[in-house]
Amino acid sequence: MEAAPLSAPRYDDASVRRFITATVLWGIVGMLVGAILALQLAWAPANLGLPWTSFGRLRPLHTNAVIFAFTGNALFAGIYYSMQRLLKTRMWSDTLSSVHFWGWQAIIVLAAVTLPLGMTQGKEYAELIWPIDLLIAVVWLVFAANFFGTIAIRKVKHLYVALWFYMSMVITITVLHVVNNLALPATLTRSYPVYSGMTDALVQWWYGHNAVGFLLTTPILGLMYYFLPRAAQRPVFSYRLSIIHFWALVFLYIWAGPHHLLYSALPDWAQTVGMVFSLMLLAPSWGGMLNGLLTLRGAWDRLRTDPILKFWVAAITFYGMSTFEGPMMSIRAVNALSHFTDWTIAHVHAGALGWVGESVFAMLYYMAPQVWNRKLHSVSLATTHFWLATVGIVLYVVAMWTAGVTQGLMWRAFDEAGLLQYPNFVDTVRTLNPFYWIRLLGGLMYLGGIIVMAWNLYKTATSDSSNALEA
Amino acid sequence: MSERDKVLGHADEADGIEEYDNPLPTWWLGLFAGTVAFGIGYAVDYHFVSKRSQAGEYAAELAAAPKAPEATAVAATPDAIAAGKEIYTANCVACHGPDLHGGVGPDLTDATWIHGGKLDEIAHIITVGVPEKGMLTWGPILGPQKVGQVAAYVHSAGGGQ
Ligand code: HEC
Ligand code: HEM
Ligand code: HEM
Repeated sequence: MEAAPLSAPRYDDASVRRFITATVLWGIVGMLVGAILALQLAWAPANLGLPWTSFGRLRPLHTNAVIFAFTGNALFAGIYYSMQRLLKTRMWSDTLSSVHFWGWQAIIVLAAVTLPLGMTQGKEYAELIWPIDLLIAVVWLVFAANFFGTIAIRKVKHLYVALWFYMSMVITITVLHVVNNLALPATLTRSYPVYSGMTDALVQWWYGHNAVGFLLTTPILGLMYYFLPRAAQRPVFSYRLSIIHFWALVFLYIWAGPHHLLYSALPDWAQTVGMVFSLMLLAPSWGGMLNGLLTLRGAWDRLRTDPILKFWVAAITFYGMSTFEGPMMSIRAVNALSHFTDWTIAHVHAGALGWVGESVFAMLYYMAPQVWNRKLHSVSLATTHFWLATVGIVLYVVAMWTAGVTQGLMWRAFDEAGLLQYPNFVDTVRTLNPFYWIRLLGGLMYLGGIIVMAWNLYKTATSDSSNALEA
Repeated sequence: MSERDKVLGHADEADGIEEYDNPLPTWWLGLFAGTVAFGIGYAVDYHFVSKRSQAGEYAAELAAAPKAPEATAVAATPDAIAAGKEIYTANCVACHGPDLHGGVGPDLTDATWIHGGKLDEIAHIITVGVPEKGMLTWGPILGPQKVGQVAAYVHSAGGGQ
């Protein structure tokens, strides 16, 4: 930690180091909770019979921890690192950087206390109660001010494409968070949404889908546009493609929310809008995949030795896969089978563990040596991490696909007399149980990989100056 | 090939990252145009040509579904009671207890009945259930024959009238 990188006076790498540390720590916590959930679904006694440790309360803790704490801190680390270098300037305000960091960690700690206590708004991915929502709004605006302030004082004219992706996140998340959380407070911990019934559901899934779009997708694409060409030392395949798929993505994403409400009380026309816009998202998403993979032309031979490139290729492949699967799941007939089943869980984690997780790991392995000015402690441990993560994802996702399709088919199976063949829900649960154990195994491998990474980065950061990248 | 792999020359403004300005792959453009065309075509067809709807789909599925067989008369034969015991064990124990003395649901062996203790009354309440109290509507789940058997078993267990 004491090492002062050469760039220290110009760039604020201290903030980057803090965000990296937070990413790794919250990642371990969030995924440990994920593994506990996986165990609870396979083996109910793991709920421990206590309200605070029951599945219903730990599930939102997992989703909030992995999305806002792990992914959130990772995005901030990557954005602070890359935007200073792209704009050739230090962050606009060190005070705001600091308020942003500590404010965000305070939100996470509050979430980790309130969710197990059962305080919730009952909206998925927006569970946190109104006082915390206000704090999120304030801290996010602090970040936004610092972000746009830095753009304003930039030393270059051109805004590299990564920044466009970051910008879409900063703006869209502000709007989404405020609109979805509009509520009338009743007590300190309880509030009533200003919307009701179907309107509330529609606003919620407009938020939910775009939270996926503008936290788990577009900003990661932005990071890919910076960290992948840097790591591969190859030019980006196509500037034109990057601009076109960017605008197509941000324009189309906003309309796709209703694909979460197919076959509900939502009017038919709105369901059609959700389905059709989701189908049109396929090509713009694949635009990002193409630009990523084709940027690696000429660097494929380094894939064998460089774990960072391995992580990128796997991440981008999972991105391509889940953005093919998503549009398919938006088709009414397919959703009729997949909705409510573990198929959705498979889709979520192919995106989350594959695309989000492996992109973050690639970025951390690139960035940590730079900001601590130390050579990576062990390349072979990073490679071990890669295989643990990738095999873990495959186990997780294949088990959940199988479980999902099996359950969907069991629900709709009739016998000759027209009666349900599996009238008891518990019949399906018994059938799925082995798959839940396989998912747990996959999840533990993935978690194990992160712990290996944590050790590797710790050794990197604390090694002595004989390992410095530059003297 | 002239257009291929020409760098734009912004690298000094992008932390050294070069960008080619390669044209969009044709198949990618085709895919994009294809999904847009399909989307518009689908929406027009669904709402204006085939005039489909969620309610219509439901009605059509109901009409196509095999009709549930008419209720068979309930007969309390020893065979029916034995079969009913198995159905009871598989479905009802959680709420009415292994020996029918109740739990979440009421005791089924005493003379007190909320919905009547005659065989056909028992069969009826099992068929329609009391969903607001947690007693499922077993008719569509078990079918009339199994409802008859489990009703016979309950009726034979002590409280039947
Ligand atoms: C989830 C819990 C639950 C299950 C499972 C369940 N029941 Fe019930 N059952 C109840 C409750 C609660 C009542 C009381 C309803 C009321 O108060 O009107 C009830 C009422 C009844 C009654 C009417 C009793 C009376 O006093 O009139 C009968 C008969 C009955 N159940 C039979 C069955 C049979 C047979 C099964 C299995 C096929 C079954 N129940 C499964 C909860 C359950
Ligand atoms: C060790 C790794 C992980 C394990 C074992 C794990 C496990 C689980 C489990 C068991 C559930 C509940 C599924 C259900 O209700 O049936 C879940 C839900 C979820 N997880 Fe994870 N998870 C892991 C990592 C992640 C990561 C890294 C992310 C995101 C970046 C993530 C995002 C989610 C989301 C969004 C849901 C809710 C899905 C929905 O409601 O459809 N998970 N996870
Ligand atoms: C073109 C891109 C995509 C489309 C069209 C799409 C579409 C869908 C659909 C149809 C569902 C199921 C809704 C339901 O039945 O309830 C879903 C769920 C989900 N998707 Fe995607 N998806 C896409 C990409 C992604 C990516 C890249 C990620 C993650 C990183 C992701 C994360 C999720 C999550 C978290 C859910 C679960 C929401 C919930 O029910 O809690 N999606 N998506």
